[in-house]
Amino acid sequence: MNTLTKLIARWRVQAYLDFMWMTRDFRFFFINIVSDIILNLAGVAAVFLLAERFQGIGPWSRDQIVFLLGYAALVRGLLDMGFSYNVLHISRRIGRGQMDHLLVQPQPLWMGLLAEGFMPFSGSWSLIAGMGITAWAIHQLGMALTASWWLIFFCNLVASCAIVLAFSFAWGSLAFWAPVAAEEISSRAVNFMYQLKSFPLDGLSAFMLANMLTVLPVGFVAWYPCRQLLGIAPSHLWHTPLVAMVFSLIAWVAFKKGMQHYEQTGSQRYLGWGHRS
Amino acid sequence: MNKPGRNATSAGDIAVKLSEVDKIFYQRQRSEKIQDVFKNLFRPNIREIRALQKVDLRIRRGEIVAYAGPNGAGKSTTVKLLSSVLAPTSGSVQCLGMNPMKDRVQYVKRIGVVFGQRTELWWDQPVAASFEWKRVVWEIPRARYDAMLGFVKDLLGIGEFFNSLARQLSLGQKMRADLALMLMHEPEILFLDEPTIGVDVLAKRNILDFIKNLNREKGVTVMITSHDMDELEQLAGRIVMIDKGRIAFDGDFRQLRRQFGDRRHLTIETASTSPPRISGVQFIGSKGNRHHFTFDAAQTPIPTLLAQVQTRIHDIETHRMPIDDVIADMYEHWDANREGVRE
Repeated sequence: MNTLTKLIARWRVQAYLDFMWMTRDFRFFFINIVSDIILNLAGVAAVFLLAERFQGIGPWSRDQIVFLLGYAALVRGLLDMGFSYNVLHISRRIGRGQMDHLLVQPQPLWMGLLAEGFMPFSGSWSLIAGMGITAWAIHQLGMALTASWWLIFFCNLVASCAIVLAFSFAWGSLAFWAPVAAEEISSRAVNFMYQLKSFPLDGLSAFMLANMLTVLPVGFVAWYPCRQLLGIAPSHLWHTPLVAMVFSLIAWVAFKKGMQHYEQTGSQRYLGWGHRS
Repeated sequence: MNKPGRNATSAGDIAVKLSEVDKIFYQRQRSEKIQDVFKNLFRPNIREIRALQKVDLRIRRGEIVAYAGPNGAGKSTTVKLLSSVLAPTSGSVQCLGMNPMKDRVQYVKRIGVVFGQRTELWWDQPVAASFEWKRVVWEIPRARYDAMLGFVKDLLGIGEFFNSLARQLSLGQKMRADLALMLMHEPEILFLDEPTIGVDVLAKRNILDFIKNLNREKGVTVMITSHDMDELEQLAGRIVMIDKGRIAFDGDFRQLRRQFGDRRHLTIETASTSPPRISGVQFIGSKGNRHHFTFDAAQTPIPTLLAQVQTRIHDIETHRMPIDDVIADMYEHWDANREGVRE
């Protein structure tokens, strides 16, 4: 079996687990969907209402803001769907000594991490909400969409997801050295990105903006790629994928160093929840 | 499980080989004094903990080895070294001809690991779902999977709760399900780190019977750690005792008893409420006219003791001290030796 076939087989079994979990009882299933949709709409409501009240924010029209919100929801949706069970919040797994479970599985670590968090049913409602919001914005904007635009759109979307994931892994790797103190550091990092991702960052000082695009790359989660995709700024559509590569490299180095440390020290602590429930 | 042709080595070969293995951990020591805040932050005292020291261990294929020792002796560290979770500080770890760290992916396909207080089951799923997950991740061919599922269902009786949610299982059921899950890929060697911790007597007996059957029928090599020495004595032919990271004893249980004396209990019922005077025994206490002693049968044979009793004997009972007591004496003896060395 080649690597892709193996990965698909693992995703399929995770999808089966997720489907079984979701459909365990209909009432639970229904409440889960409704609450996820409400949460997602609430998450974008504040910025939308501001845009509606002032007919846009800065250089962004109201419909462009809706596109930004849709894109941000898509990023969150993809991450929720692909990296649940605390894969996105990796410091929890590390800090709780749960890496041992991955190490006794006969597969490369990256494959375990890429497969174990896949929840295409219970984790897809943000994605569906994002798709709806984006489709509505595209329709309102009357954009003429070519195949190359879609290609660039998907490349940027994947890059934005990679940036959030890499940011979480880079910070989360601290838990290898400080399992208790840094157990929640990935959640803090991810929440920081999620809370700021929907805001247009135009008008910030150059210093603040530079920080938001480098040290804390929240600008790349939605604002920067959307500016390019909507033609608000000169088109540099390769910037976000490039930044994603840089952050992925940083995360990879930090995580690898952390794993080397873990192999030497192991974990003196073990808590069983979160990675399988 | 030791199927012909599955590996290049024969059944008589060494399955586990630890040579001169050291494992050192470093622990920050923090002073509670306020004036040491900066020292704690920037130049803390580092304590070196030698979890394993020059450990040499060989386990032959098909053996059941009990691996015992007091808390913090290095048992779990050894199991982690053999499960490709930890790397040794120095020395070499070889298992099934492989280096657990370097050949991790291939290696873990051939071993089974159970840590007593952890589970591989998916918590909010029926037990069956975890088995399906295992089939895919371990890439077990369907026919072999179906055959093994029938085997473990029979042997461990997991059929009755196979469709129940994992989180609804009792501790004993959970452990049986975990053991069954571990066996699905037919491992050649099992590392069981306190597999019966917290389970009731009946569940414990079922698990021990199961391990024995598995070893007898399939020739699976087993290394098991536990604090329950009686349990280990029932199960294993060989016991390796570890203390402060060093192997302190390696042999069978009879040798172990011999090495630390053949300690026995003696109860004598006499006509009198005062205990008889016997040399070569240690008096424990009396309840009415029943008097309790301990003695070393290797030093003082029972007839020699009884010959010393002057009063009329109504009844007499003698039995070996439980292995737990032997081990407790041994730990005490080790501690006393260490204290002696320090002084």
